[in-house]
Amino acid sequence: MPAMDSVVVLLSVVCLGVSSQQITDSQRLFSIAVNRVTHLHLLAQRLFSDFESSLQTEEQRQLNKIFLQDFCNSDYIISPIDKHETQRSSVLKLLSISYRLVESWEFPSRSLSGGSSLRNQISPRLSELKTGILLLIRANQDEAENYPDSDALQHAPYGNYYQSLGGNESLRQTYELLACFKKDMHKVETYLTVAKCRLSPEANCTL
Amino acid sequence: MMTKVREVLLLLLLPAFVPHTDGTRYSLPGKPTEIKCRSPEKETFTCWWKPGSDGGLPTTYALYYRKEGSNVVHECPDYHTAGKNSCFFNKNDTVIWVSYNITVVATNALGKTYSDPVDIDVVYIVKPHPPEKLEVTVMKDQGWPFLRVSWEPPRKADTRSGWITLIYELRVKLEEEESEWENHIAGQQKMFNIFSLRSGGTYLIQVRCKPDHGFWSEWSSTSYVKVPEYLHREKSVWILILVFSAFILLILIWLIHMNSHSLKHCMLPPVPGPKIKGFDKQLLKSGKSDEVFSALVVSDFPPTTSNYEDLLVEYLEVYVPEQQELMVDEGKDHDGCLKSIGSASDSDSGRGSCDSDNLLMDKSGAAKEEQQQQNQEGDQIGTETQGPKEAWEKETMLCANEDVVSPSTSSKKVKTWPSVFSPVTPYSPSPLDPHNSLEMHKQNFLSDTQFPPGSPSSDHCIKKALQSSYWEVCFNNNQPYPQTDVHQQLQAHSDRNISAINDGNAPRNLLLPTRMTEYVEVQRVNEENKVLLHPIPSGHTREEACSWVGHGDNYSKVKGVNSDNVLLLQREVVEEESMEMAGAAESCYTSSIAINTPKPTTCSHIALPVQEERVLAVSGYVDTATMFSLDT
Repeated sequence: MPAMDSVVVLLSVVCLGVSSQQITDSQRLFSIAVNRVTHLHLLAQRLFSDFESSLQTEEQRQLNKIFLQDFCNSDYIISPIDKHETQRSSVLKLLSISYRLVESWEFPSRSLSGGSSLRNQISPRLSELKTGILLLIRANQDEAENYPDSDALQHAPYGNYYQSLGGNESLRQTYELLACFKKDMHKVETYLTVAKCRLSPEANCTL
Repeated sequence: MMTKVREVLLLLLLPAFVPHTDGTRYSLPGKPTEIKCRSPEKETFTCWWKPGSDGGLPTTYALYYRKEGSNVVHECPDYHTAGKNSCFFNKNDTVIWVSYNITVVATNALGKTYSDPVDIDVVYIVKPHPPEKLEVTVMKDQGWPFLRVSWEPPRKADTRSGWITLIYELRVKLEEEESEWENHIAGQQKMFNIFSLRSGGTYLIQVRCKPDHGFWSEWSSTSYVKVPEYLHREKSVWILILVFSAFILLILIWLIHMNSHSLKHCMLPPVPGPKIKGFDKQLLKSGKSDEVFSALVVSDFPPTTSNYEDLLVEYLEVYVPEQQELMVDEGKDHDGCLKSIGSASDSDSGRGSCDSDNLLMDKSGAAKEEQQQQNQEGDQIGTETQGPKEAWEKETMLCANEDVVSPSTSSKKVKTWPSVFSPVTPYSPSPLDPHNSLEMHKQNFLSDTQFPPGSPSSDHCIKKALQSSYWEVCFNNNQPYPQTDVHQQLQAHSDRNISAINDGNAPRNLLLPTRMTEYVEVQRVNEENKVLLHPIPSGHTREEACSWVGHGDNYSKVKGVNSDNVLLLQREVVEEESMEMAGAAESCYTSSIAINTPKPTTCSHIALPVQEERVLAVSGYVDTATMFSLDT
């Protein structure tokens, strides 16, 4: 029926307008989120390099060897590890993975605090980032199909993963902590950047 | 025993020989070192190693890697794509955020040698290719050129999807030997502008890039660009300013040069030198005082020559209307009226009367009396003692008579005989010596004083300090001047008897001495060869103020000329007295006139020696012209 068609057309136009507005808002939110995670990544890099430079050569080699055999606590979170996989993932999936990664560090980051002012900044910034990503998820969740992944919001037992190690391992523990933190921050930064570029109206989003 | 020793020796020596014959030595291969892995786009990566010594045997190299969290050892999939001693990991074999543990093994016939393991994470070993399609163009911004540099990211780097984020840097250099590179960070943009270019220069430009966490790429290929010639606006403005200021400077210099003389006068006023006749600076410098002073004694001073003309510096001629009469400013102490002498053609004597106060008629014939008179005059004047200058300044009063002046006369000049009436000389007023009464003053007196038309109204007296002339020029327009003669007569004082200097040849009106208030005129010469003088009738109403010779003593009679060629005038006492003449014992002045016929005179006048062409001022106004005509 022609009346129905016109109504559909009208509705689609309205939806388009609304979604474009949302897109604009989400672009802005993405920009903010990318900025924040980039800053966190830089913080993590700096902390790690400072720690590494304070180590002695012999210790460094030992730590390297040991580290390869250990895992980060976020290893259980399945995340794309190459470009192909990342391109294949949807925006929402990327956002949810990012959210989980950030959330997994919320508790252990408290053990990073103390000492320098840099360390003290990590925990609050992580909280802010988590909030931002949540907003983005909510903003992009409406038009997306139902997210089948139930494990996206699954909470792994972070708990005392890093606390379980003994005092002798403090050096190694710190090394692990900083290395994993750096890696995860880079992951989140990459995912968010890709998601943002995919949603960006311009062809070349790295302008 | 001996053979055993020999065998041992041989056994010992044998290995020594054996190697010599072999020549080469095989060993295990050296350890590969310096394993370096790089990923150009975060999707693939390549590892290179540096082989050690091969140990003399053909050596092969193998790379083994193990991923993080797995104990499975893999071997390098591709040894050839990236060249010798390299291993290339393609997309399928590359994962990021996973650590690789890489080991290189060198194998030869003798054995294997393992290198040190290296842990890498692809994310942190990204080194992209240099940017591509570097383009440089010259663009204009309001006449000023600038360079626009643009480029493209390396082909393989996926910046569009955001997988890799690159930041760029470019560097610029002038094509000169000693110029340096100038670096600019361009951020994530692919375009950059360069300003402040050198006109006509050639620039070299290169660009490189870097991922947000990684290594800088190599510099791209160089791009050359030549900037066109242009004139720097700032320079042109400065050139304009320079030219303008140089122009102004030239004008100023020229002006100063033109006015250098006046400027010099203004800033360095010339020091007045001594203007003393006979004063010789050089002599003074030489220090011979005697000579200096002797030089001062000028030959013609006191004036002995008959060249009186030279001493008459100027005339003071005043033309007055017929009704006007020159009057002495009465009631004032100062005055002296300077009798002006008209032009030579004017036979009229000067008229006017002078204050009897100031009049000192020397009735005695003694020079001393004259001196006394002078002194008296001086006293009477009072201020003269102060100094001639000041005296005159006080006494002189110049009353401009506008009516007198206004009539259009050819010359409104008031001329005087400065020397005659100069009361003051640079020298201190000393008692006058009869001879010196004929002083010739070479003072420069007020010369041609032009009275402006429309000068103040009657009774207006302009006090004028005539420093050099020390006169008192008095005009009083209240006094009608009976004479038709337009000459205005000035009467001046002098503290000395001024001897009328006259050029014997030139018919001139003699000037009466300063105190002369009586004006006589030679009427005629009677049969007795006497010069009859008659007073000049003056119709002024102030007759009483002045004493006329006619009213008083009448010197119109020439008594005679004495032996010294002195013309003696006879005074005929007239009853009429003039009150103002009180104290003015005016005597008749003898004038020694160079006349050929000496005439005896009986007069109590001072007989002054007559000298050639030397005429004394007489109390009467003697017209030599008339006198000379009597000679015949």
